[in-house]
Amino acid sequence: VDWSPPVEKYKGYIREVQFGRPKSEGGRGKVIKIGGQRTLYRFEEVQPNPPVVTFDIFDMPMPGLPKPVREYFQDVMEDPVEWAKKCVKEFNADMVTIHHISTDPKLKNTPPKESAKLMEDLLQAVDVPFVIGGSGDPKKDPLVLEACAQVAEGEKCLLASANLDLDYKKVADAAMKYDHNVLSWTIMDPNMAKDLNRRLISHGLDGNRIVMDPTTCSLGYGIEFSINTMIRLRLAGLKGDELVNMPMSSGTTNAIGAREAWMVNPEWGDRRYRLPLWEITTGLTMLLCGVDIFMMLHPLSIAVIKEFGRLLVS
Amino acid sequence: MMAKKISAMDIYKLLPKINCKKCGESSCMAFATKLQERKVTIDECPILKSPKFEKNRKKLEELLSPPVKEIWFGYEDKKVILGGEEVMYRYELTFFNPTAIGIDISDSLPEEEIKKRAKFVEDFVFERTGEKLKLDFIALRNASDDPERFVKALKIIQENTNMPVALCSLNVESIEKALDIVRSKPMIYGATEKNFSEMIKMLISKKRDKKEFALTLSSSNIKTLKGMVKASLEHGIEDLILDPHTTPENIMETLDKFVMIRRSAIERGDKLLGYPILGLPINTYFYVLKGNNPIKQFVEKLDKAAAIMEARTACAMLNRYADGIIIHGTEVWELMPILTLRQAIYTDPRKPQTVEPGLYPIGNPDENSPVIMTTNFSLTFYTVTGDFEKDGVVCWLLVMDTEGKAVDVAVAGGQYCGDNAKKLIEETKIEEKVNHRIIILPGLAAPVRGDIEEKTGWTCVVGTRDSSQVGEFLRKNWNKILEEWKAKQEL
Ligand code: B12
Ligand code: SF4
Repeated sequence: VDWSPPVEKYKGYIREVQFGRPKSEGGRGKVIKIGGQRTLYRFEEVQPNPPVVTFDIFDMPMPGLPKPVREYFQDVMEDPVEWAKKCVKEFNADMVTIHHISTDPKLKNTPPKESAKLMEDLLQAVDVPFVIGGSGDPKKDPLVLEACAQVAEGEKCLLASANLDLDYKKVADAAMKYDHNVLSWTIMDPNMAKDLNRRLISHGLDGNRIVMDPTTCSLGYGIEFSINTMIRLRLAGLKGDELVNMPMSSGTTNAIGAREAWMVNPEWGDRRYRLPLWEITTGLTMLLCGVDIFMMLHPLSIAVIKEFGRLLVS
Repeated sequence: MMAKKISAMDIYKLLPKINCKKCGESSCMAFATKLQERKVTIDECPILKSPKFEKNRKKLEELLSPPVKEIWFGYEDKKVILGGEEVMYRYELTFFNPTAIGIDISDSLPEEEIKKRAKFVEDFVFERTGEKLKLDFIALRNASDDPERFVKALKIIQENTNMPVALCSLNVESIEKALDIVRSKPMIYGATEKNFSEMIKMLISKKRDKKEFALTLSSSNIKTLKGMVKASLEHGIEDLILDPHTTPENIMETLDKFVMIRRSAIERGDKLLGYPILGLPINTYFYVLKGNNPIKQFVEKLDKAAAIMEARTACAMLNRYADGIIIHGTEVWELMPILTLRQAIYTDPRKPQTVEPGLYPIGNPDENSPVIMTTNFSLTFYTVTGDFEKDGVVCWLLVMDTEGKAVDVAVAGGQYCGDNAKKLIEETKIEEKVNHRIIILPGLAAPVRGDIEEKTGWTCVVGTRDSSQVGEFLRKNWNKILEEWKAKQEL
């Protein structure tokens, strides 16, 4: 018998996106790249960059964080700068995501100026690239992102996010003006993802500065929708559709919101293992659908996803 | 090159084309479409059974056989079915036979332990969204390498359970002895490059004695594996399963092989690789247990770390075409994500995930019981009713037709709204069941409360965000809400 590995030819490629600026160019140091694949599978060609995990941190103690997560960060939750340092020093974080949740008008309504101040402190404190997130308030987010983008000028952060519910042009403008990338976030619909990317690009944003977030439904809460969407987008990109050939991001932390993860229930066994495993299963599934950057919370889950990701580049 | 996809037209050409409707479809063409979608089988057309159509029937069978052969083992009334897949990605059609999960039992364990573990496997259930998620088979491992012990353990399992078994031994004598007493059609694991000719020789003689089995072929080299398939087929051994080795040192290598095998079968039409794939997360378990613990910074206990890493291997394999897996760990927290992921991957994307809209009495509600309104998305419905059952909530549950959308999705999409609420109230005649006009809404439906009150005239109370908190909420507030409402009516 004969057989040879079924390697495909792909017309397209996945764009490469860079976070951070090297010291040689006046940056703070660490540079991370994602994307750049020319194939779907490792046996066809080893992918150039491993997937990256970015640690979620919050600008105020996040209400309702379950104990198995809190126990790692209890001592730093009041101080986001210490929180970021801990992620980098203790858990080797490659990137950090700061969620400026206190800017929510329903929470503390922190003004953008203050968020920018915190952003400056964070940039001083650690040398890894940042994802900058708002609170989810569509009116406030563009203002917060703009203010933070300005103080982080040149650092090639990821602004999270541009979506169809808010003034995405403002977010794109901030990225263009201050040299950042944009997270283009849509809800589980490949056409919607394409539409938003088209709008961002026609507004003037370079396609190589876009990362797509097609939404991660957690394990048990519609992960099959995400599987379909991610795979379709990745395949379309590899087939040559330049409007969806961006690297993809997953808000894997969603998994911790699933009751099977956080709920205390003796019938379901020890939550200390159950919770991270729920996040791992969600993340790993997304990884195998092509996701390049993961926003995650539990240090154990992050370690497992990173360890797995390294296999993709070896 | 893609393997050619068959069309409904290709199928139609081979049907009797007389539109007699005996199959229950309106025409032969309609039947052809259903056949193509694998929603019916050719047996349902009685005309095809006549001698005149024998040739066509054969051709159809050939045409319709999936690129990955369907293999079964176990008991007639309790089968484990592997393979039968047609597509690389679930969105293209659907995946058919959920990955079978086998639990390892070593024949070196004391008799009582074997019995206990076997019972555990048989009885284990994790209920999710109205489905009972279960384990599928017992993988009896000849850890002792002693044929007598192996046989004895098999007897214990057969006497105490009705579970399908995989006989796992590379020792040909052990397999031979076990085959003599096995009551079901077992999976045999397996034939390797080393024991191949000896194993096949023994199996041929068993086949002559009318023994049935499915055989796993094991080699880390896909080409070798393919050669082994060919040789097995030549000896009339046709129920095959492929094991391209699970290597815990680099699990990506294993996953790559799974993909190569499946792609060869489905996209390249390679018949010799068109068999189910077996993955062995158990190898990861023992690899970690021996001290290779990549997460020791967080989990020092080796058995816990092993279970976590085993689950991660299992989950990766579920995402990469494993048709069967064998695992060792049995902690509930390890099994839950594996079973849930399997359920997700194998839901049929062609079917909406819905339940019948309408009125569902929960517990024994009376005219003073609360009325609660949720959606007909099955995940939402089963989560809500599961919670209510657990907490002893008694109520009238109104299930709105939101086209199978979750609460927040339906609120955002406009299906959870006043008009639909009004329709639901009218159709269910809920006002004849209760002597109040109050509806409790999910916390996430707060934005549409005004709309619903306006269209229905009922008073709406926004409840908790999560249905698990509803029992508590009602115990605290329902009497007060009801009294306040009554007091208002008297004014
Ligand atoms: C899966 C999903 C989808 C799937 C739909 C799957 C489905 N069948 O519903 C798809 C891809 C189709 C989808 C589409 C859209 N989605 Co969507 N989707 C989700 C997602 C990820 C999960 C929803 C889910 O399954 N929840 C699980 C179920 C069990 O929860 P549940 O129904 O709410 O039930 C719980 C509670 O409500 C409560 N409960 C239920 N009944 C009752 C009753 C009472 C009395 C009480 C007290 C409690 C209670 O208990 C339950 C268990 O906890 C959410 C984000 C998230 N939540 O994580 C976004 C989300 C809901 N989607 C959103 C949006 C915007 C949309 C779209 C409008 C996008 C668009 N612009 O097209 C469309 C709308 C589609 C439509 N309706 O026509 C937004 C909604 C934002 C908002 N609130 O305005 C969300 C929140 C994402 C986000 N953060 O932006 N979506
Ligand atoms: S039973 Fe057979 S011949 Fe009759 S309509 Fe159906 S497919 Fe056609």
